[in-house]
Amino acid sequence: MTETNTSALEPSGDPVRVGVYVCHCGGNISDVIDTKAVAAALAAHPNVAVSNDYMFMCSDPGQALIIDDIKANHINRVVVAACSPTLHEITFRKALQRAGLNPYLFEYVNIREQASWVHKGDHEGATRKAVRLVAAGVEKVVRQDELFPIKVGVEPHVVVVGGGVAGMSAAVALAGRGLGVTLVEKGVALGGRVADLDRVYPTEERGADLVQDLTRQVEGHSRIDVRLGSEVVGLDGHVGKFAVTVRTSSAAPDDQDHLVRAGAVVIATGFDHYKPAQGEHGFGESPAVVTLPDFQAALRQCPASRRGLQVNGRPARSVAFIHCVGSRQIDGVHAPQADGKVNDYCSRTCCTATLHTIRQVQSRFPDVDVYDLHKDIRTYGRGHEAYYEDASRAGALFFRFPDEEPPTFAASTGGEYAGTVTTRDILTWGEELEIPVDLVVLATGMVPRDIASLIDLRKLPVGADRFLQEVHPKLRPVETGVAGILLAGACQGPMDINEACTAAQTAAVKAAILLANPTIELDPFVAVVDGERCDGCGKCLAECEYVGALTMADVEQAGATVRHAVVNPAMCVGCGACAAVCSPRAINVAGWTLDQFDAMVDAIIAEDVGALAHTECRAGVRHIEFAVISGGN
Amino acid sequence: MSPEDDLKILIITTMISSYPGANTVGQARLQYSPGTFIVRVPDPVMLPEEFYLDSFAKGIDGIIIMSSGSDCPYEGAYPRLSKRAGRVYARMKEQGIDTSRLKLTTICTVCKAAFLKEIREMQQNILKAKAA
Amino acid sequence: MAASTQQLKADVLVVGAGIAGLQASLDLADQGKSVVLVERKPSIGGTMINLSKVFPTLDCASCITTPRMASVAHHANIDLFTLSEVDGIEKAEGRFRATITKRPRYIEEDRCIGCKRCEEACTVFLEDDFDHGLGAKKAISIPFTNAIPQYPVLDAENCLLCGACAKVCPTQCINFLQEPKQVEVDAGAVILATGFELTPIDAKPQYGRGGFPNVLSPLQMERLLAPHGPYGGVMRPSDGQTPSSIAYVQCAGSRDKSLGVPYCSRVCCMYAIKQAMLLSGSLPIADITIYYMDIRAFGKGYEQFYQNARAMGVEFVKAKVARISEDEGHNPILRIERQEAGTGPEEVRHDLVVLSLGMVPAWKPSQGGLIAVEADTDGFLKSPGMKLSPALTTMDGVFAAGTATGPKDIVDAITDAGAAAMAATNYLARTQPAPARHLP
Ligand SMILES: Cc1cc2nc3c(=O)[nH]c(=O)nc-3n(C[C@H](O)[C@H](O)[C@H](O)COP(=O)(O)OP(=O)(O)OC[C@H]3O[C@@H](n4cnc5c(N)ncnc54)[C@H](O)[C@@H]3O)c2cc1C
Ligand SMILES: Cc1cc2nc3c(=O)[nH]c(=O)nc-3n(C[C@H](O)[C@H](O)[C@H](O)COP(=O)(O)OP(=O)(O)OC[C@H]3O[C@@H](n4cnc5c(N)ncnc54)[C@H](O)[C@@H]3O)c2cc1C
Ligand code: SF4
Ligand code: SF4
Repeated sequence: MTETNTSALEPSGDPVRVGVYVCHCGGNISDVIDTKAVAAALAAHPNVAVSNDYMFMCSDPGQALIIDDIKANHINRVVVAACSPTLHEITFRKALQRAGLNPYLFEYVNIREQASWVHKGDHEGATRKAVRLVAAGVEKVVRQDELFPIKVGVEPHVVVVGGGVAGMSAAVALAGRGLGVTLVEKGVALGGRVADLDRVYPTEERGADLVQDLTRQVEGHSRIDVRLGSEVVGLDGHVGKFAVTVRTSSAAPDDQDHLVRAGAVVIATGFDHYKPAQGEHGFGESPAVVTLPDFQAALRQCPASRRGLQVNGRPARSVAFIHCVGSRQIDGVHAPQADGKVNDYCSRTCCTATLHTIRQVQSRFPDVDVYDLHKDIRTYGRGHEAYYEDASRAGALFFRFPDEEPPTFAASTGGEYAGTVTTRDILTWGEELEIPVDLVVLATGMVPRDIASLIDLRKLPVGADRFLQEVHPKLRPVETGVAGILLAGACQGPMDINEACTAAQTAAVKAAILLANPTIELDPFVAVVDGERCDGCGKCLAECEYVGALTMADVEQAGATVRHAVVNPAMCVGCGACAAVCSPRAINVAGWTLDQFDAMVDAIIAEDVGALAHTECRAGVRHIEFAVISGGN
Repeated sequence: MSPEDDLKILIITTMISSYPGANTVGQARLQYSPGTFIVRVPDPVMLPEEFYLDSFAKGIDGIIIMSSGSDCPYEGAYPRLSKRAGRVYARMKEQGIDTSRLKLTTICTVCKAAFLKEIREMQQNILKAKAA
Repeated sequence: MAASTQQLKADVLVVGAGIAGLQASLDLADQGKSVVLVERKPSIGGTMINLSKVFPTLDCASCITTPRMASVAHHANIDLFTLSEVDGIEKAEGRFRATITKRPRYIEEDRCIGCKRCEEACTVFLEDDFDHGLGAKKAISIPFTNAIPQYPVLDAENCLLCGACAKVCPTQCINFLQEPKQVEVDAGAVILATGFELTPIDAKPQYGRGGFPNVLSPLQMERLLAPHGPYGGVMRPSDGQTPSSIAYVQCAGSRDKSLGVPYCSRVCCMYAIKQAMLLSGSLPIADITIYYMDIRAFGKGYEQFYQNARAMGVEFVKAKVARISEDEGHNPILRIERQEAGTGPEEVRHDLVVLSLGMVPAWKPSQGGLIAVEADTDGFLKSPGMKLSPALTTMDGVFAAGTATGPKDIVDAITDAGAAAMAATNYLARTQPAPARHLP
């Protein structure tokens, strides 16, 4: 079923009759403002049919006054002058609704917080101001259209991209909620990076067990369709109705592409390990310099034996761990990355991962000398600090290097140890130290995976750190600027397993909110195009920041095909940036049109309310909107 | 009536920041002149250049745009707004309107002192411009 | 049970209306779940509504918290109880039965219009808890500017019963005889979002046990920095002077076994940096020094925030603060041991000092009451499924969100809340099969 969702009805033809209600607020307003005089002044407005003042408009009898006037006096627009709309806008809208009037044919004028309370010493001035403000409210409401919530039909299905712990966690949560899920994993198996971990901090569970636990839950759900060796190659549509093309390269050539209809998309593509540059702390120049993930793999394979710790077939009697490799980089000190920028962010997990690894070395090979070279130790999380303390107690030596002078490594030929790490140590007052080591472990940070092709499909927002970017870093941490596309896990920035799973479950709840009902109801305050006025110039398009909210399209009008701006109300946020540049005033935000603002200014300026022009019933404008598909298919 | 109270200053406020900010001023019972008219908008980015120029032509003495600045919930709206204000200033100059009669500022939900200061300054600007 | 006990049935009972409890309630209610939300304070919003601006965006805290508070207050699926205490929650036959006491405000809420006339009329001044003792309030007052709900509370202990407020109240809603009300809630699941408190400022004898007027708690500094703060600017409480040298003592209540707080409180580095930045904005000529052990700017955008503060001239000194005293002019004197230039212990004088206090749970299971879940060794609620199911507690059907399970910043508390809401929803789907709708 296709249904065009309009936010303006055909004009009813009824004359515009406004009811004005001025509240005393038990003296809070009427002690300063002459509410009777305000009501009397407004009665002179040619569109005002009823103008009253009353002790408490918000009380039941106050609301009954409005309801009665709507029913008995055929009032079809309402203005209440009272306290702040934050307190009672909803109260009065509901009253209109109860009386059978569209709740948006209402205007609230604040004459308490913004008049009587702030002009206590000037009763006359405050009263004059109130008259002008209420007149402006009347002028606004006579130009107000009936508005209806925008309804978008939804698919009760979600595509999750990436099958690491975050993606699996999101999939399990969504399926538990009754939604269908397609879990798209590029690799040959689920699990992501956690599958590589032996023990995980701080619970000391096995990475493999965690992955297995989640995998079992994923596979046990009939609602989850797992697609291994697959990628997303198409991402069209909008919130509620995405069309996602999943390509499985290993499938038969004519059966590789699979179209999935989904109401929301969760991206959980995770992170890559930072790969140190050739020569960075000696990396690539000496086999004695390895990354933390490589060292963890070697440690896992190293048998417990009297020969002690062996890495790459060589003994490691003295090991230096260097923090912040590829993270917290400083312009001018570190070489820029491929995009010309340094990685100036902290990778969050590497400090604890390093100390956790040090503890494993210490407990399995107590004779190994351990050195930890850091800028700060950031063992912030629950249970993390204990690794730091225990490592220190077990004899690890901690050195703090200055930001501008990262430690260096020089291999030695024929010496007792494989080489020497040279560092300055702030903790011993900037002394330069030379540490003989067999092995240097670089605590490499996180970088986002290369998902450029996925990003390009939808212009997904990317931050300066190259990770995917949320809409609001505090309040809306898992939503992107594209409604219905959500983020989970380390694709958004460094996080550990529990943080990734928490984010994933939050992404799941956001999807569940969107898809809880067969239709999503969105606020009606979005841009609307007046087909008669739009000349197809396309200026508005350049102003819109929201991909897909505004497009130019050919539409049939009076037998001819004309080019018009078309709004997709499911993607428009109603900021009105478009409205400001449209010279024929064809595009406006519903409920906040420029004609309304002009008329308000006229009313504020006018010396005589009675002299304001009578406004006829709104002319029959034809609004063009995107056809929002409702219901099933 | 003092000359300030006879002015018509339009205060454009945003839904999320300065409109509630004006309420905070009221709750604290701080006093200012009634020659001030608060208009609520989702975001001032929706108002075209002409809105300001026309308002001055109609007899509005001064306009204070109290935006949400960097707290603005709409993508790219604040940079667009400040560019637009720049163009309005240029056109005001062309038309011989004193540019101090328009002010773009940022006011939050609890910026009481700043709210009053903006009004005071605007009143002074207008009266100075009128005297000149 | 009194005959007047109100009975309510809900899908989920949420305890605590800080940002975590608010978000969890919204994430449930927006899915169509019914929620009863109980807050012990007179307003919702928790600590977040008390802050000036928030790191790392420097958004105005009030501006980003009030819309969430309003959404909760107006939500058709949320029943909100403020100034209310959950006396106990019992689990029986897969449901949770909670008894709640709604303490009297001494006003009839359905009639109050929030006009503050009572507050103007009242002649009794009390210490303002929202401003942490820096400002004053009346014995009947709306707790703070953006409080939700906007009703005054009468402080019965300090009220003189003079009746001045009742005389001016235009709706005659002041009721000195109001009694507590009992509410019983029958819920399918519970979310605990009871939040945190600061480590006590008087815990450390070396730091003066909270006895120095110019040694502040970080929440007091938040209030001084807020545009609607008690002094309208940053001033010394002892003499109202504008400070020209301000110091932060990091880990003043955390990472300290002697205080029973061995863990890192996670937010103190960042709030100190934030306050330092705000201070250098409002007091451009003041020197600001942060004495620290490690700067833990680990979150998204936090390291960059830290580096900006350094570039702005905030001085970071790696030093241990052994002791704080004050001179006769109430200038705090810090005895510090620098780690970077070992000149031995030295004494430095500042005009104002902020102790970067840590976080402890606001409600501990060991206190009893509320519900029989277990705490971990750090005192916060135990998370038995920490890695994969972080919202679980030790009782089936009871979930935790926000700082109830350990120190967290706002974004982590909000993310947590979503996960708790998801977990509770799926628990309901498993245990309380609902009539067939679009979704269970
Ligand atoms: C050295 C090191 C040690 C660590 N130790 C611990 C620890 O002890 N405890 C702890 O809690 N955390 C630890 N972590 C952090 C942990 O690894 C992460 O938190 C976790 O892996 C994040 O999970 P994720 O699902 O977000 O990403 P990932 O694990 O990276 O998974 C992402 C998945 O998405 C898939 N994918 C990528 N791109 C696409 C695409 N375009 N299409 C389809 N699929 C795609 C990938 O193949 C992968 O399966 C450690 C990290 C490091 C670097
Ligand atoms: C000085 C300071 C500055 C900060 N600045 C920032 C910042 O800039 N950015 C940032 O991200 N974070 C900041 N934070 C951290 C932030 O305050 C917390 O992350 C956030 O407030 C946690 O929210 P919450 O809901 O978990 O807890 P809370 O805010 O503590 O809320 C818990 C609520 O539960 C109620 N409650 C408790 N027990 C019960 C009970 N038994 N029954 C009923 N109700 C109960 C409490 O009254 C409270 O309202 C700062 C913290 C401090 C101390
Ligand atoms: S977590 Fe530690 S090692 Fe990793 S980037 Fe941050 S400070 Fe450096
Ligand atoms: S005077 Fe009465 S109506 Fe006004 S706030 Fe106080 S209690 Fe409420």
